[in-house]
Amino acid sequence: MGEGGCFLETAGVEASAAPRAPRASEASSSIQKPRVNTWQRPTLERRNWDAACSHAKGRRDRTGKPQRKRMNVGVAHSEVNPNTRVMNSRGIWLAYIILVGLLHVVLLSIPFFSIPVVWTLTNVIHNLAMYVFLHTVKGTPFETPDQGKARLLTHWEQMDYGLQFTSSRKFLSISPIVLYLLASFYTKYDAAHFLINTASLLSVLLPKLPQFHGVRLFGINKY
Amino acid sequence: MYLPCPVVQNIKVSCTSWKCALEDVAWIISAPAYHLILEGILILWIIRLLFSKTYKLQERSDLTVKEKEELIEEWQPEPLVPPVSGDHPALNYNVVSGPPSHNIVVNGKKCVNFASFNFLGLLDDPRVKAAALVSLRKYGVGTCGPRGFYGTFDVHLDLEDRLAKFMQTEEAIIYSYGFATIASAIPAYSKRGDIVFVDRAACFAIQKGLQASRSDIQLFKHNDMADLERLLKEQEIEDQKNPRKARVTRRFIVVEGLYMNTGTICPLPELVKLKYKYKARIFLEESLSFGVLGEHGRGVTEHFGISIDDIDLISANMENSLASIGGFCCGRSFVIDHQRLSGQGYCFSASLPPLLAAAAIEALNIMEENPGIFSVLREKCKRIHKALQGISGLKVVGESFSPAFHLQLQESTGSREDDVKLLQEIVNHCMDRSIALTQARYLEKEEKCLPPPSIRVVVTVEQTDEELERAARTIKEVAQAVLL
Repeated sequence: MGEGGCFLETAGVEASAAPRAPRASEASSSIQKPRVNTWQRPTLERRNWDAACSHAKGRRDRTGKPQRKRMNVGVAHSEVNPNTRVMNSRGIWLAYIILVGLLHVVLLSIPFFSIPVVWTLTNVIHNLAMYVFLHTVKGTPFETPDQGKARLLTHWEQMDYGLQFTSSRKFLSISPIVLYLLASFYTKYDAAHFLINTASLLSVLLPKLPQFHGVRLFGINKY
Repeated sequence: MYLPCPVVQNIKVSCTSWKCALEDVAWIISAPAYHLILEGILILWIIRLLFSKTYKLQERSDLTVKEKEELIEEWQPEPLVPPVSGDHPALNYNVVSGPPSHNIVVNGKKCVNFASFNFLGLLDDPRVKAAALVSLRKYGVGTCGPRGFYGTFDVHLDLEDRLAKFMQTEEAIIYSYGFATIASAIPAYSKRGDIVFVDRAACFAIQKGLQASRSDIQLFKHNDMADLERLLKEQEIEDQKNPRKARVTRRFIVVEGLYMNTGTICPLPELVKLKYKYKARIFLEESLSFGVLGEHGRGVTEHFGISIDDIDLISANMENSLASIGGFCCGRSFVIDHQRLSGQGYCFSASLPPLLAAAAIEALNIMEENPGIFSVLREKCKRIHKALQGISGLKVVGESFSPAFHLQLQESTGSREDDVKLLQEIVNHCMDRSIALTQARYLEKEEKCLPPPSIRVVVTVEQTDEELERAARTIKEVAQAVLL
């Protein structure tokens, strides 16, 4: 984009300078020079303009002038660890709910699962995925400028730099409980389903307590 | 109550909405009590969560309130401008007119330069200056941007290419400030939780790099391989106790080729053996040995005949032998490429001015054309080293082939200030006799292991044998006069 812009500027300067110079010299010279056909084919510059604006095809402003793409405006951030504010991003709660809904619908569409089994499966798979992504995987997939402060922290512990009971944390704590309540209703409070669902819920609720921040039981997943 | 479709399938389709609601309530009431109690607790938990306030987990503070009060009471603010004696070196500096070349003009007096690190005399070389001028006319003075923001010119890429070829490594990377080179390279690789074994006599730039890396620092006695092995063995025992932690811990050994603070050389063959035995990575800082040691000036690896692939990272600054500004790191592409995004001095500082890069390229050309100057330099070093032996009151510290060595007091007076004053007297007298010397200066409060005060003597190829003899004689006479 940068080169295209520079090219256009120089082309524009040259295009505007070129016709001006012969006109000035013609005006100042008293000797009649033989008229040479100095008519420039405009299509040459136009072709280059189009080539330079190829990434802005069809993109025009109100006046019909073709617009070229700006550099990434507004995307630079000085966040030391971007993992901390992932769950605060725009639309992620809705995306999360939709994803759980999608999981449920996919499970529902399997013909040989009954309704209680589907709900228990939804609950268990959701809690398993939550446990793996929030409480097992540690560190960051990118280098952070703080020399690896979060290398041994899970995503839950990294959220909002360890601040407890923020809105994202509350949302993520409440969503398995809501799912559990729904699952218990739809499994008709059956004992076997109760055991599975409750165990799954506990596995995902306990790590979220502030008392369990940084705790690694039996040294599992410590390093 | 509106029932979702799947549940309706379980209840008779023909039932009215009232009946469905009743059936629904029946299910709930017939639920086991423990389940309902648990659900009640969970709903209360949700309400608690919704109403709890955000708070930060407190870091454990082991001080009681009384102790905190005591500490606050006894704190005395330090003065903004601490009182400083009138003869502080920062207040009595020497003014150099013109370039600090072989004949330097200090405070208006013409002296022979035994203080600037101009080992190969390339500071005043006409070829180097011509190349810099050509580059100045072509590019202007500065780059006005870091390497990522239109600050990369063809001279930078050229210089990186040339340095990589000269050192026979895969790739090289240029920094615009020599101090920042090693201070950016170390924290790019070594993070929290990693272990760095570093020599006690490491220069200040290395110390700042280690501080920035937030790693565990283990200091071993200067050039003492037995001490280093002891530390490595202790670390190995710790690793065996906790193998999972050891698997994620990186180990580094940081040494200098020729130490700036002592003029000694590091025992690289033993270090390479230790590296392979204890699985650590070696970072070699070659600021003083690049362009000095080795048959072609490639540094301490060529001096010992060690394959350059054994060293993981070589870092050097171009401010000594190459008579330019800035620094470079060279090594395998896999290692050096990482610094292009993680080297703080590379990403966040303006790049090297093109005229200095062109000067460095020309200096490299000169180095490649006459590989004989390195042995000439080493001969001169050996000569003056020998000539300075046996001075009463001063001892020579450093290798015989090191172009920058130290003269320390044989017996210290007891206080560092008095030592510094004595040495300054010697330096001043030598300056009067037109031999420009300097003391090695340190930020005394910031250094981890402060070396004793010393005069640092620098040998360059441009010094003739007569000048070397005269310098040795002058230092001997002055030392005799001042110290006895």
